[in-house]
Amino acid sequence: MSAKEQKKAKRFGMVIDLDKCTGCGACMVACMAENNVPFKKDESNKLDSITWMRVFKLTNGKEYPDADVCYLPRPCQHCEGHDGHSPCVSVCPATATDYSRETGIVSQIYTRCFGCRYCMAACPYHARYFNWWDPVWPKGMEKMLSPDVSVRMRGIVEKCSFCFHRYQRAMDKAHLEGRRELAENEYQTACTQACPAGAITFGDLNNPGHAVYKLKQSPNAFRLLERLGTNTKVYYVSEREWVRRAGDNYLAHEKTGQVAAAH
Amino acid sequence: MKIDRRSFLSLGVGAGAGIALSPLPWKLTDDLSIWTQMWPWTPVPKDGEIRYVNSVSTLCRCGCGIKVRKVDDRAVKIEGQEGYPGSDGSACALCMSGIQRLYSPTAIRMPLKNTGTKDAPLWQSVTWDAAIREISEKLGKLRKEGKPQALACISGSDKGTVPALFRRFLQAYGSPNFMSMPSYEDAYEMTLKLMHGTDSAVGFDLENADYVISFGSGILEGWGSSVRMFKAKSAWKDKKVKTVQVDTRLSNSAAKADLWLAVKPGSESLLALGMAAVIISEKLYDKKFADQYTFAFDSWKDAEGKEHRGFKEFILENYSLSYVARATGIEESQIVKIAKEFAGASAPIALCGRGQGNTPGSVHEFMAVHALNALAGNINQKGGVWAMPKDDYIQWDEAATDGIAEKGLETPRIDGAGTEKYPLSKSLPHRLAAIINAAEKSPVEVLLVSGANPLYSLPDSRAVKKAFGRIPFIVSFASHMDETSEMADMILPCPSHLERYEDVPTPAGMIRKVTGLARPVVRPQYNRKNAGDSLILIAKALGGSIAGSFPWAAYEECLEKTFGDKWKTLKETGYITEDFSPPYWDAAFATPSKKFAFMSEVCAGAEKKGGTGAAKPEGEENTFPLLLIPFDSMRLACGPVAPTPFMMKTVSDHMLKGKYTVVEIHPETAQKYGLKEGKNAVLSTPKGEAEVKVHLSRRTAPGIVAMPRGLGHSGPDEYISGKGSNFNELIAAVEDPVSGLDAAWGIRAKLVKA
Amino acid sequence: MSALEEKAKESSDNNGGFAILFFIIGLAASLIFGWVVFPKLLYSQKKQPFDFSHALHNGLVDNGCQSCHFFREDGSYAGVPKLAQCVDCHEDVQGETEDEAVFVNEYVKPGREVPWLVYSRQPDCVFFSHAAHVKSGGMDCKTCHGPIGESESLKPYEENRITGYSRDIWGKNIAGFKSHTWDRMKMDDCSECHVKNGVRQNSVQTEKGACFVCHK
Repeated sequence: MSAKEQKKAKRFGMVIDLDKCTGCGACMVACMAENNVPFKKDESNKLDSITWMRVFKLTNGKEYPDADVCYLPRPCQHCEGHDGHSPCVSVCPATATDYSRETGIVSQIYTRCFGCRYCMAACPYHARYFNWWDPVWPKGMEKMLSPDVSVRMRGIVEKCSFCFHRYQRAMDKAHLEGRRELAENEYQTACTQACPAGAITFGDLNNPGHAVYKLKQSPNAFRLLERLGTNTKVYYVSEREWVRRAGDNYLAHEKTGQVAAAH
Repeated sequence: MKIDRRSFLSLGVGAGAGIALSPLPWKLTDDLSIWTQMWPWTPVPKDGEIRYVNSVSTLCRCGCGIKVRKVDDRAVKIEGQEGYPGSDGSACALCMSGIQRLYSPTAIRMPLKNTGTKDAPLWQSVTWDAAIREISEKLGKLRKEGKPQALACISGSDKGTVPALFRRFLQAYGSPNFMSMPSYEDAYEMTLKLMHGTDSAVGFDLENADYVISFGSGILEGWGSSVRMFKAKSAWKDKKVKTVQVDTRLSNSAAKADLWLAVKPGSESLLALGMAAVIISEKLYDKKFADQYTFAFDSWKDAEGKEHRGFKEFILENYSLSYVARATGIEESQIVKIAKEFAGASAPIALCGRGQGNTPGSVHEFMAVHALNALAGNINQKGGVWAMPKDDYIQWDEAATDGIAEKGLETPRIDGAGTEKYPLSKSLPHRLAAIINAAEKSPVEVLLVSGANPLYSLPDSRAVKKAFGRIPFIVSFASHMDETSEMADMILPCPSHLERYEDVPTPAGMIRKVTGLARPVVRPQYNRKNAGDSLILIAKALGGSIAGSFPWAAYEECLEKTFGDKWKTLKETGYITEDFSPPYWDAAFATPSKKFAFMSEVCAGAEKKGGTGAAKPEGEENTFPLLLIPFDSMRLACGPVAPTPFMMKTVSDHMLKGKYTVVEIHPETAQKYGLKEGKNAVLSTPKGEAEVKVHLSRRTAPGIVAMPRGLGHSGPDEYISGKGSNFNELIAAVEDPVSGLDAAWGIRAKLVKA
Repeated sequence: MSALEEKAKESSDNNGGFAILFFIIGLAASLIFGWVVFPKLLYSQKKQPFDFSHALHNGLVDNGCQSCHFFREDGSYAGVPKLAQCVDCHEDVQGETEDEAVFVNEYVKPGREVPWLVYSRQPDCVFFSHAAHVKSGGMDCKTCHGPIGESESLKPYEENRITGYSRDIWGKNIAGFKSHTWDRMKMDDCSECHVKNGVRQNSVQTEKGACFVCHK
């Protein structure tokens, strides 16, 4: 990459306000509809239920009525690791998953994947899902499939792409208009757009003009399992200490917000 | 020359070498790998031009403004419509997955006639002509027999043109038995009737409130207009507006509130009255409002000189801090603190109606909570509770009635609404089942159902099923198969919500009038007719004054004429709004005194001093030691429309596991009854039983079983049906003594290891 | 030397020539099979619904290829024209060709879209931005599509029996050799140009173009 390109490189990421997230599930539905996520008869076994965006429930473990719950939406964290060597990209033997230094997005190419599920084992966030069966749409419902996202098949792994096709579409328009840069609102993920509580903010973490740039600097911001060095691009914000502690493994004496630098 | 094995080997080696030197292996490998990358049966979505069509989704109760993405003529995705009043740019999970309903194979494509029995229906498709003929013959006969009152209708709502057409049809036909499915809006309406004296809908200026206390209202569970509530909640957080949630269970609303008051079940109104007592005794109430614009705040003498105790004295006498603290389980200091904060805020607002508000609830409770708003003087004020005029865009001439109709209209309503016993209520469909089941012959002979799924949504649904089985002829106006359609004798299919025009009246709690227009987003797929069109055809077939009452050629003409000169704007912009500024206190009330009426006795529960105002759950404590309470979730549709496959994917495995509903119990309760996490148990109530799985959670208090609502559909497809149990099969309605509305919030239950 | 070995030696001496002969026969036959028969077996010939002359139409329009193959406002590429575009001129049969009659009678009148077989149709996993190449990259249509604008009739569509894609993707030459940029449309061909021009070479895996450039 040339120096000029390096300077222009983007790191698309999210900041999710966990104090605003209501756990309503709108982001999950928006994601499924946007990305042709398949569905089957029984989706209550969450181990084989494909949800690129999944809202987890955290509890503080305290006794009623001091109990508290918090919802945590989990898209793919798009780990940068060290220079793009995210856990999944490093282990993929098929070059089916890749890290782009241009956008910071971890891609998954379904036609390239041969289903070894090495990446699933490597992912600390359970963000990757395996297609145990061929997806089936009830007769007529295949009409709702979007041409922007490839339909997957049995035997491959899939995951959140930060709605990369929306970036492609926005870039198409930019190219037509003779631009090479996108405005912040031109590329937003489906979940960000759908969240009725406005809990999700999406943008270029490198761009001081984007909302995420400031939000991620909040003292209450944290990332999941930060100490693994995964260097994720999804930040969470919560005013509640117990929620921040739930984001990683802490010893009793350790405080949050004190992450050791990557090795 | 001898051809031996070696020659063949040579031939083989030569062929091998030749093949290797030809492109065949490389090309074949490449092609095969492409083939395996994309099986021929994997669908390839067709590309095309993307366009967006705006509409309003009528799947949820409030109506989300939507923007439908189309690729050529296919609808592929639903998003929120920017600028739509209330939902502005977002949509709820149900409305967002509405395309799955549009393209569902369970859509009813043509009129269906049940040629089997109600228990084992056998559907035969019939032509529209034949269907309309059969229905109108049945209806004609009933009128000839002089019992038009034996026709009843259950509508999902009582607002908008389609319900109005049904009401009109019954009017012209001669039946008083038009019923709409009840909700907390009915309880609020009654509260305003009693306290304000006006016939109005409740409005909340949530966006300008600066202190919010919710008495069980699921602000984040779908109460009110769900998306507007979410947006308001986030805005409150940004503006640091304190939110307090009063709830027995740690609901999502409670978890997100700044303070959760975990009250003992059923003591919500008691807490409200306890707060009122603090506000009164500390003289923190709005004195101007209380002194000049209220009636019965202080003790008063009636015309005969009889002394009546005022609200102030009544509350102070009966709701002492220690009593309220004991009964609600909230510490005295906490109650005082909250009461002071509430009264001290400049725009405090108190909300009522449990969960999503699908069960109306006790009018006492609503009045107790509304009294708080009155004490704070935050009635018809910025950031307060407003009495909103109801939508009045339907201004049709009175339906013509003939002799038979007039006679029929004079008969008392079957559900008892508006009779001496329930003078205040307009419709009480939850009473219908018991009345039909108790009668020798069903007083309802023909039932029309539109926009509702009473067989799923009414309490004690097993009794409802039995009652529906006894109704000789049921006509269902539905776009998809549901529990009620399954029991019908004739189904007149309606276009799905993305294929038809329909007006969407002002959603609950809005502080301005908003009329939306649902419009066809895709070309109608099948030969279906809007319920309004079907009704017009039936009316025309019946002839006489009934036909005369339906002067429109088609429903669309009716819509157009109803809106008159506003139709063009409505059709172009998709919605019309009308701002409203509430009258000041001197002109706001239409009670006999023209003042706000505290109505102390009714407010506190007339049955006894210090009453809670809440309904008593059915069941004996000895047999049923636990208390079953429902909870609502945005991830499940709890209204007449079944959840979509996408929604089912979002449902937590702490709510549904396989075919079992998962109920929440406190670990202490589990230990007491020998139940373990994830294990099956039989949940029984006086009304029924269900096998469930158990989840141990500290979100609920010991002694409580919390069960999600919205599961246990029997149809329409394998993605929805047979999953969990319907809460309504386990609960019985408890009649509110003031209104007759269903005020049940729980029922006694037993949980035994399966 | 044992008898057995001697026998073996004898036979090899006698049959050495035959072995070579058979080797050559096998080689020749399989070479013919691989180079000549195999391609014929691999591709089925399909005819377009009716013939179309690009050359003729090109002479009638003002704006070259983009007159019919245009960009939509959102930057996407419309590709093969829809019936609605053709109908502007072809409401009634013009000219005297049989194809014109087929077009008007079988498609225009009943309002049916023409099921054109698209020579350049790529697998579903491919995302190709015409805007990026034509507008920002300044490429002409010919670089990838060849001189199709000058063609007077539509060649038969050769469909790969295994993959279902057109022969034009792999290229007419069964060995995969190309003499023009437009002879092939495989991933390697895209990549070749991207590498040469240094387009978005941002992949951590390959140090070449990232997957999410041309894939979706």
